[in-house]
Order: sequence, then structure tokens, then C-alpha cells
Amino acid sequence: MAKSKKEIISIQSVSKIYNLGETVVKALDNVSLSIYDNDYISIMGPSGSGKSTLMNIIGCLDVPTKGKYKFKDELISEMDDNQLANIRNEKIGFVFQTFNLLPKLNAMQNVEVPLIYSSLGRKERIERAEEALHIVGLQDRMTHKPNELSGGQRQRVAIARALVNKPSIILADEPTGNLDSKSGNEILKFFAKLHKDGNTIIMVTHEESVAKLSKRRIDIFDGKIARDE
Amino acid sequence: MEKLLEMNNFFKNIIIGLFSVRSNLTRVILTASGLTIGIFTVSIVSAAVSSIDKEFAKSMDYYGNDKVYVGTWPWSFDFDWWKYRNRPKIEESSLEYITQYSEYITDVSIKKNTWTRATYGNKASWVQLNGVYPSYQDMLSGTKIENGRFFSQNEWDLQRRVIIVGGTVRDGFFQGKDPIGKKIRLNNVTFEIIGELKKQGIGMVPGGTLDNLVIMPSTTFERILTRWGFDELVLQTSPEDIPLAKEEVGMIMRVARKIPPGDDDNFAVNSADAYMEQFNTMKNAIAGMGFLVTGISLVVSAIGIMNVMFVSVRERTREIGLRKAMGATNFNILTQFLSEAVAIAIIGGSVGIALIRLTVFGLASFPIPNFNGATLPISFDLLLVFYTFTVCVFIGVLAGLIPARTAANLNPIDALRDE
Repeated sequence: MAKSKKEIISIQSVSKIYNLGETVVKALDNVSLSIYDNDYISIMGPSGSGKSTLMNIIGCLDVPTKGKYKFKDELISEMDDNQLANIRNEKIGFVFQTFNLLPKLNAMQNVEVPLIYSSLGRKERIERAEEALHIVGLQDRMTHKPNELSGGQRQRVAIARALVNKPSIILADEPTGNLDSKSGNEILKFFAKLHKDGNTIIMVTHEESVAKLSKRRIDIFDGKIARDE
Repeated sequence: MEKLLEMNNFFKNIIIGLFSVRSNLTRVILTASGLTIGIFTVSIVSAAVSSIDKEFAKSMDYYGNDKVYVGTWPWSFDFDWWKYRNRPKIEESSLEYITQYSEYITDVSIKKNTWTRATYGNKASWVQLNGVYPSYQDMLSGTKIENGRFFSQNEWDLQRRVIIVGGTVRDGFFQGKDPIGKKIRLNNVTFEIIGELKKQGIGMVPGGTLDNLVIMPSTTFERILTRWGFDELVLQTSPEDIPLAKEEVGMIMRVARKIPPGDDDNFAVNSADAYMEQFNTMKNAIAGMGFLVTGISLVVSAIGIMNVMFVSVRERTREIGLRKAMGATNFNILTQFLSEAVAIAIIGGSVGIALIRLTVFGLASFPIPNFNGATLPISFDLLLVFYTFTVCVFIGVLAGLIPARTAANLNPIDALRDE
């Protein structure tokens, strides 16, 4: 592991506790973790292990119950909803298992969604969205609606959407889970390329073969990090 | 600059809201139609009330704001016929007492009323007949002699068969040509037209239009038509003296009729303002009912919009989660859904306004049959558009607030997981 690299994310003794009526669930139990610039991490673990909770906290969709989470120099664990929304908008690109494209918008408009919540003007938004679609090789499909695209193409639109704001990290939750193996491999190759271009990628996956392609692997078990290498 | 950027964001969210309105157009139109009906009825009610008001005021001119009338019955909408039916007729002789003793009454006339059949050649029509003194010429209100002249004292003394006619007679009998000097028959007696009254248009009060009126000397009236009709005393005063004059005339009438103290009056002293008051009560009742009903329909349509907005939030939970993950703040989502609700309301309202415009236009272009070319008194006001717009925005915000807040406060993780 390249320790000399710049630290982007610092998670210190983070716990997440859910109160479900009488039972108390410790989804994350005293987890500490550092993520560096240009990391390519896969997070693995059985369901209920806490990997989704960890993803949500890294993705600033949720805040920890205990512990500190620093993103670059900003203390995420103390932020309110609006500050979190801004961090998500500027620093994080999400790729979901089910693509989560808006069905009534075309590829271009879908890629534009994160830019709408930034302060960019219309012209710049269009330029950026076109650029992102170029990167994923869908420059010919800009006006297609999601239902006119294949699964692999849809996921590429979603990746373009994640890239469009030039985020510090890309968070991918089972990005190949809904794809056939051929399209899945294409997407993974693409992630490898993004990594090579200097992007930081964090990916949650079930599949051993997918995890193997990453440079760093973190196993979660019962809310604790069981392996990090 | 910061503020400007925020404004920019605000409008972007509105556009997102409008976009989703466009993509659910059928549902939006169905929901908005509730508001269309509400806005339509509320406007029709207010237009009708204000038009009735105008027409009524015009009709009230006929009675004048400077006159006191003494008759058998009070002018009232809640008329207790049984109480008044045995009252004695109004005697012309009472006028002598009034002229002699009253301080406030400056001029008097009898007004004998009846309806009769008027004929000219093979044409016939029912007209209202008034038999009056020559002094009545100065007491005409709401109209004036436009053509020809009033009858003279001499003609009154000699019981001449001369008449002054309202505007309908010209159109009905003479195809719009000058009727002066023509002879028509009233109750089979020939009369000469010597004067014509200014045409007034449709009125609201029974007997309150002057267009169908024929005026003649009361002496002539008595000689030819004495068996019919009822008499009224018309007393001239000034507008500010009306209350005192009414009181005074009441006392003089009691003396003239020798009514013992403690007994009820067996006559009624009337004036237009009292009529107006009664009318206002009735008008307010109509308006109250109208606005209550339309108020309910507006509330119902607000509930309809709220319901659709809840459905919209429910359907688009994942979208909300996604937008939040992409950096939308709670306020962004709130604005998006609020503008959607307001847009639905405005669509409904605009269709309502269009319908009103069409209705007013339609009513104005089709004269009411048998009303001499008059149209239903209803008008369209630009202010109405402004009010409707305001009401729609208000209803949209009201109906959208709770669903939009629900959407804004969704947890992005749960929202994204929604199936």
C-alpha cells in the first residue's frame, strides 16, 4: 500500500448504532480506516455485516453515532443535512447497482442532474455533461432515454453522472450486480481505466472475482474490519 | 453573488417541478379540473353579485334617494300579506294634510298604479300605468323626458287623454320611429302620445323599470281606470331629510287617519334606502351561500392536489433519494414539489379563467329573448385574473406544503432503497 499518498478520508473509531425498538443494532463497531488518493478499494462482506452502513457513512449519506470522520480537512461527522448535501455534490460520485437513472430524462439530462445542484450555468452544465459522456464512450447516445439503452450503457451513463462533477472519490455499490458477465467485465475494465487516470474508487461487491481486480481489499464482518490489505 | 446563485438554484428547482408536471399531464389535468370548477363558480358568483348590485342600484334610481312613498304595504322581501290585506286604501286627501303640516316635504303627487293592455294596430303589449299630478314632472327620477313634453296643469284639469311613454313603446309599436303625436289604445280607449321617457334598460326590481311605463294625468286615470290599481303618495324631500321626513309623514298620516295612540299604523312609509338595506341583506345571503359552496369546492380541490402530490412523492421516492445523493438539499426538493403543486393549481385556475371569459363572452353576445335586446348583466374583470392567480398560488402552496415537506425530509438512504 502506498502510504506516501495523500490521505483523503480518515475514519477514526466510528460506530453506528441503530435503535430498533427494544433491540440495539451495532452496524459499525469502532471502525478506523484511512483512504488515500488514487486508491481502488473493494469492500466485501456478507449481508448484515455493516458494509452498506460503512458505504453510507463514507458517502456522506449518513453520519456516525460515535467517532470522527474527516474528508480531506472537513469534519463530516459534525455536519448538518445541507453541508452533507454540498459535500455529496462536490466530492462524491455515486454508482448504484440498479443504475438509478431517471426514466423520463435522456442520457444527457441524467448526467446533468448533479450539476443542477451545483452553481454552474446552463452552458457549462451542457459542456461538462457532454464531456462526461465522451469519457464513457456514449457520445452517440446523448439523447437516448434509459429504456433505449442496454444495461451496460445505462451503467455507463450512471458512471458519467458520477464523474461529471469531478469528484474526489467514486463510490460504487455492486456496480456489476445487475449486469451480464460481458457488460460487467466492460464496466470493471472501465473502472480500472478510471483508476489509472487518477480517480479514487471505492466499490462494494459480493463477488470474489470483482474484488480481485481492485488494489486494496477490505472485509467487514459483524461491524468490524476483518481484513484490510 | 451568493444570493444570485441561490436564486438561480431556486428557479432550476421550479423548472424540475414543471418538468414533472409535463410528464404527468393527464393526471395533472384531472386534478386541476377540481380547481377549475371552483375558480369558475367563485368568479361567476362574484360577477353575478356585483352585476346584480349595479343593476339594482340602477333600478333604485326609479324610486329616487330623495323621495318618501306612502302606501298600503311596506317595501319588503319578507312580505306578510295577511297582516296588510285589510288595510284601507291610500286616500288622495291625505296629501292635503301633508302639504299643510309637513316641514320636510317640498312637493307631492299621487301615483295611481295599474297594468293594462296597450294596442296599436294589430300589436298589443302589457304596460304599467301611472296616474300622477303635473308636479310629477319634476319628481321623475332615474329618467327624464327625452322627447316631447309632460302634460300640463290644464290637461290634468280637463282630464285629457294624453300620455308619456317609456322606451319600449317606441321599439314595440313604432319600429324605433318617433311616437310623438301617435295614438295608441289603452284598455280600448284612445290616447295621444305627447312625451317619451329616456330608455333605461333591464331592471331588477318588480315594477322597477321605466321602459314599460305609461304616465297620464291622475284625473284621466281615475275617470277611465278607476276600478283597478292601487294608490301611492309620492313625496319630495331632500336625501339627508329622509329619516326625519318619514317620521313626520308617519305622524301626519296617523292624525289624518285618526288612529288612536297605541294602535298600529295601517299604512306604510317607504323609501329607497330601506329597500336597499333589505336588498343588501338578501344579496349578502346569496353571496354568503355562493362563497361558502365555492369555498368548500376550493378546499376539496386543494385536498385533491394534496392527494396527487402525496402519490407523486410516493412514486418518486427513489428519485428523491437519488437527487439527494447527488447533492440536492432539503430546500431544493421542497421547492421542486411545491412548484409542482402550484403549477397544477395555476393550470386549473387558468382553465377556469378561460371558461369564465368564454361564458361572459357568450352571455354578452346572446340577448335574452323578449327583453328588448338586453343581455344578462354580467361582466369580466381583469382584476379577477389577478385574484385567481393569487388564490391558485395560495392553494397550490397550501396543498403542496405537507407532501413537499415529506419529500424534503426523506432520508436519502431509505429513499434510495425504496422499491
